Amino acid sequence: MSQHVRNGWYLGAWSHEIGRTLKQRWITDMPVCFYRLPDQTVTAVEDRCPHRKYPLSLGHLDDEGTLQCDYHGYRFDGRGACVGVAEQTDRPKAALRRFPLVERDGAIWIWPGDPELADESLLPDTSWLNDPGWTHVHGVVPLKARHLLLLENLLDLTHETFLHPTSIGNAAVAATPIDVTVDGDRVGFSRRMTGIEAPPFYEKSCGLTSPVDRWQDGEFHPPGVFILHIRVAATGTEEPEGFHMRVLYGMTPARGNETHDFYALGRDYLIDDEELTTFQHEQQLAVMQEDVDALEAQELMYATDPGGTAESSIKSDLAALRGRRSLMKMLAREQHGQPGQQGDRTARPTESV
Amino acid sequence: MTDPSAAVLDTLTTTEAGTASRHEAGFDGTLVVLSRRNVAAGVVSLELGPRSGEGEGGGEGEGEPLPAWRPGAHIDVVLPTGITRQYSLCGPAGHTSRWRIAVLREPDGRGGSQWIHDNVHEGTELRVRGPRNNFPLRPAARYLFVGGGIGITPLLPMIAEAEAAGADWSLLYGGRTHASMAFLPELEPYGERVDVRPQDQHGLPDLAGFLGDPDPSALVYCCGPAGLIDAVEARCASWPAGSLNVERFAAVTGQQPVGGENNPPIEVELRASGMTLTVPPQLSVLKAVEHAGVPVLSSCEEGICGSCETAVIEGEIDHRDSLLTEDERAAGDTMLICVSRARGGRLVLDL
Repeated sequence: MSQHVRNGWYLGAWSHEIGRTLKQRWITDMPVCFYRLPDQTVTAVEDRCPHRKYPLSLGHLDDEGTLQCDYHGYRFDGRGACVGVAEQTDRPKAALRRFPLVERDGAIWIWPGDPELADESLLPDTSWLNDPGWTHVHGVVPLKARHLLLLENLLDLTHETFLHPTSIGNAAVAATPIDVTVDGDRVGFSRRMTGIEAPPFYEKSCGLTSPVDRWQDGEFHPPGVFILHIRVAATGTEEPEGFHMRVLYGMTPARGNETHDFYALGRDYLIDDEELTTFQHEQQLAVMQEDVDALEAQELMYATDPGGTAESSIKSDLAALRGRRSLMKMLAREQHGQPGQQGDRTARPTESV
Repeated sequence: MTDPSAAVLDTLTTTEAGTASRHEAGFDGTLVVLSRRNVAAGVVSLELGPRSGEGEGGGEGEGEPLPAWRPGAHIDVVLPTGITRQYSLCGPAGHTSRWRIAVLREPDGRGGSQWIHDNVHEGTELRVRGPRNNFPLRPAARYLFVGGGIGITPLLPMIAEAEAAGADWSLLYGGRTHASMAFLPELEPYGERVDVRPQDQHGLPDLAGFLGDPDPSALVYCCGPAGLIDAVEARCASWPAGSLNVERFAAVTGQQPVGGENNPPIEVELRASGMTLTVPPQLSVLKAVEHAGVPVLSSCEEGICGSCETAVIEGEIDHRDSLLTEDERAAGDTMLICVSRARGGRLVLDL
């Protein structure tokens, strides 16, 4: 049984990644073959031919949208039904498992679990990825570490102080406590840093000099989406003035202890400044590389830990521990045949650290 | 200064029927502060004794003899605010005419030490209970004493006894600064047996160098802040079982695992183990369960990490953790036993 929650939306691909060629991507320990039909709708099927399990992504897609396995010639239509095989005239009984998908704002979301439970209303708001007042960069980075480590990395941004001291972190991050909110399975935190030194990335990105106010509001939409709302402004500047950025992470479990680390970094100012866009993209990737290096080093330690000693936890872990708990509860519910992801409820602050 | 939970553990006994109960022992009455001295930055020593002339043996400032005690013993000081604090006896070992304690002002504490610093003077009367001893000095040919800050207090009478017994002993005494370290003049006559290591001059004490290799003939006694004790425990992991004896301070910052005044004792039934425990005010449910010999996972002991989460079969939970959501609290079927307690005085746990 997979260790991953499957009844939930994961970012499966960015829209531009999927076209008329077949693309394999492992998602929650399942091989998935993504492609587009002639009407441009996107399709994702289990990437195993029902005949002898050959990867369909090594096959062909014809102009009518028929997918052919290149081992023994099984052919499937756009709904995944087998429409024929080269060696005989009558049609074999076979069909492909198709996954529920939603394509929205340049992202393709996949529901790897029970299709009956797939509920579009559970998707997070990504309209800013398609908002003319915003611009963004996006991509995906491979990560050889388990999804949970990435989740805890994002839910405890205290690590910026130590892991990213030359870009986005400084002492103010670790020194400022967070408020944690829980809304069903969703976990949020906020950190308000006022009158602090501007970290280099924001100094350069916003043309600000110290002191600045910096706000971080993070939201974890389990099982696999994290969105950070960032606001940076000269100290004392009230909302909605100031510079706004958002970072979306799609944390999609791949195979074993590997994860697809999808990212999008957006901003609502100087949106035509391509030089700034390039700078921000380079910085984003540099910061992510620092995280990837750290998480892969951490993965080795977890993977080889003989156990028997407890982890130590501190107050700033609370959001991450809540997030971990949400995932564990979703997994437990799923294994008991109940819906995995639970929807919105009235937001209410529960704890202050 | 001693860990209140450790002090209470001393009085917890698990009977064959599976019940544990708390009982008091020793002196319980009012003593007067005979002297108050500043012995280091932020540290006062108090000598407590019966009021002069009270009782038949009164005279020369001495009242009725106080109960005898052994090195490592502590007393409870019950403050008029209702707070009870434990302090190690640090005067000459066995002294029964007056008891000496030392109190560090802890600005981040729960107010007990501050109250003493601000309100207790010569002539002040204090309610005192005890003594009790969770940290007895056992006979050995060689002793290694490690004291951190105010943790020197229980070690002073131990050192006197070791010296009197002709044992081979040495003391590593760490503190933040020289000025914050109490009782240095009393240690000076011992010469090279004592290694004084203020952190601002020497950094962290060299535990490896001081403790050396495991020595079956030696006993290690350590009292001080948690970090020091943890380090000594790690260092002594390879020593023979029972070599290391520690006494921990109470946590003084953060969320308190055990409440103060409004913290009535609770009865906890461990259904799977067939045991019922009485958990006194100063003790967490976790500690009581551990003491009863029932294995439970735990880590932060601050209600954050969730390691000690335990299913609750019956009883109304007084949730004091930071981790559970309102829904999870309202469900009333799980609790973090390191900090949470009971409203109705009784809980049934699936342990």
